[in-house]
Amino acid sequence: MGVLEFTIGIVLAYISVIVLVIGIIYKFYTWMRVPVPLKVPLTPGPTTYAGVAARLATEVFVFRSLWRGAKKLWMGGWIFHVLLLTTIIAHIINILFHDLWGAIGYFWYDLVGYTGIIFAGALAFLIVRRIVMPNVRYISHLSDYLILLLLISIVLLGDYVRFYSGVDVKQVSAFIYSLIYLRPVEPPSNIYFLLHMLLVEILMIYIPFSKVMHFIGIFLNPVKNQRNDARMRRKVNPWDFPVEIMSWEEYYEKFKDELEMIERGG
Amino acid sequence: MKLDFSRPGEKFRLHASKKSDMELMKLPFPREWSRDDFKLPENWKEIALKKFDEVLKKYRSVRLYMDLCVHCGACSDKCPFFLATNDPYNMPVGRQDLMRAVYRKYYTREGKLLGEKAGARDFDEEMVKLWYTYFYQCSECRRCAVFCPYGIDTAEITIAAREVLTAIGLSPRSTTESIAKCEYIGNHMGIPPAALADACRFMEEEIKEETGIEVKIPINKKGAEILFVPPSADFFGGPHWGTFKGYVKMFHQIGLDYTISTYASEGGNFGLFLNYEHMKKINAKIYKEAKRLGVKWILGGECGHMWRVIHDFMGTMNGPADFLEEPVSPITGTKFKNAVYTKMVHICEFTADLIKHNKLKIDPSKNDQYIVTYHDSCNPARSMGLIDEPRYILKSVCRNYVELDPSVNRERTICCTAGGGLLADETLELRLKAIKPKMEAIKRTGANFLAMICAIDKASFDTYVRHYKLPIKVGGVHELVGNALVF
Repeated sequence: MGVLEFTIGIVLAYISVIVLVIGIIYKFYTWMRVPVPLKVPLTPGPTTYAGVAARLATEVFVFRSLWRGAKKLWMGGWIFHVLLLTTIIAHIINILFHDLWGAIGYFWYDLVGYTGIIFAGALAFLIVRRIVMPNVRYISHLSDYLILLLLISIVLLGDYVRFYSGVDVKQVSAFIYSLIYLRPVEPPSNIYFLLHMLLVEILMIYIPFSKVMHFIGIFLNPVKNQRNDARMRRKVNPWDFPVEIMSWEEYYEKFKDELEMIERGG
Repeated sequence: MKLDFSRPGEKFRLHASKKSDMELMKLPFPREWSRDDFKLPENWKEIALKKFDEVLKKYRSVRLYMDLCVHCGACSDKCPFFLATNDPYNMPVGRQDLMRAVYRKYYTREGKLLGEKAGARDFDEEMVKLWYTYFYQCSECRRCAVFCPYGIDTAEITIAAREVLTAIGLSPRSTTESIAKCEYIGNHMGIPPAALADACRFMEEEIKEETGIEVKIPINKKGAEILFVPPSADFFGGPHWGTFKGYVKMFHQIGLDYTISTYASEGGNFGLFLNYEHMKKINAKIYKEAKRLGVKWILGGECGHMWRVIHDFMGTMNGPADFLEEPVSPITGTKFKNAVYTKMVHICEFTADLIKHNKLKIDPSKNDQYIVTYHDSCNPARSMGLIDEPRYILKSVCRNYVELDPSVNRERTICCTAGGGLLADETLELRLKAIKPKMEAIKRTGANFLAMICAIDKASFDTYVRHYKLPIKVGGVHELVGNALVF
């Protein structure tokens, strides 16, 4: 096994999974350890947990707020995310349960393959948008461009592996299973496959330290996950502190004549 | 979309607090300073960074939003202040990035290593100036949060930034002047008890002249069933006066056993614009007075910021109110289950309930001269969800009701742009530009009466309709209720 196959196929494979999992947990913890002092839900404010779940579901599945905000971005963003989902599912079936395609139908196997092109197209749209629209360009930093470039490289390489490289899916399957069972064997030595895998590993290591964590963050946003029930039940602010105000007695002393006149009915 | 990088927002920077108000309110570093020369204390940076660290550990929303924004730009054209100035710091994301830049510099490896390339900036004097300018150019209306895919709420970040600014002695006069009056006289307008009683007597005379009915407005009455707290502006003329008249006439017709209070004569809360401490202080009076007077529960008037504080924060900050009872309407028997903890009910909830149970004798034809449209104020609409009740009332008390364009109303409402401490002379030009899309929508309805349930809205829209030369009367929902009552 060459150095490349060893590093990318085995060493980084384990490191990236560990960093991803521990990183996500750690980031979740950095957010969760900060208290939520007050109720700040935004309309529509459901008063039940079921309502809150339904509201979050509309955000997760159809990006409801984004649809209202920017329809062109919604198209690029939503298609990207849907294809991300289908691609991940297809990878799992393809690599780990390949025979399932027989039951699902090879038509779907082909279709998912071709959506890889649309996937790259959606990413290209997002990159162009970030460069061309002045307001988006102004707020973009290096990391915003790099993540998009990383993603489109992964998708294009993936398309290449799928359509041109001739890598045998059975070999990939055996390799991935070997990693899972902690008895790693040599990965396919195709350079495009290895590059695809390397970029995915870089992505996995990067995710916990990046804005990609929005997939967890959205559920923690009090504006979206709180019930609109602040007048109905007690919400405690753990860092609340007492304040002193002018008492009635002090106020009475200050405005004695006027208040007495009011008491007399004047 | 054009961006104007010449910082057009800078000329709308709010004027500095007066030294006397700062001393009265016991704010840090009371001194003579101006909006162009901050005269910051020697160790301001240390204090600011310490306070920044504190807010990052106190507000999960702020901590989360530092990391959550994906810079998609969907929010950018949603803020009326951006639309008015094209100033990139007025884009919600641009405004948030002023805080994010400091966060990145001091809290992320990326920021410490790569600096500006990673969007990190030092918290230097230039940055402080930008924070003061632009975090007081956000009215905390939360419109941006409606359109952000994750619901990132710039108002939360503005509130946190203002905690930091207040800690180093930077706060605007528009806010502190009113807070000082509220904390030491009883209300934001600075009206002492005798003047308040005079206003009530004047109202009683006016109602007698117009309708022949003798009403008595109870003031500081112990043992009344309900404490009524409107915004103090309602006592003082202009577009608010009709609302006050409406309340009084309605309470008289249903024989409500209520009282107003001079000590708690302010429902509004300018403390919300400054920091947690003063927001809590101003609101504390309401419960204190309710306890002193021995009332059963509290009714609140038509006021926007008041209801943000009462609906979302009062229970947490000033509760529990064990000395009060769960609110039940003495006229209809309706239990206000949505307010059983805070025990404070919105007048529109109360009135809509009365109308629903046919307890008000109204003749909608008495409002026939008006074509009425309703403007949703940001706090009742976005933070309470009080969107249907005012409309139900309006449709019951007038016969010509037109709905405003929902893309700038309801939960997407473009607010009066004078909230969050921005109601000041120095921002008039900004606000007149920012309100343009709303004024155009209002004009399209062909209405001649613009109804709303917020005191600052009434004050600002009254100005706007004059500047935009629209023949529209601005008033409260309860003004129309008052007009329609038959005795």
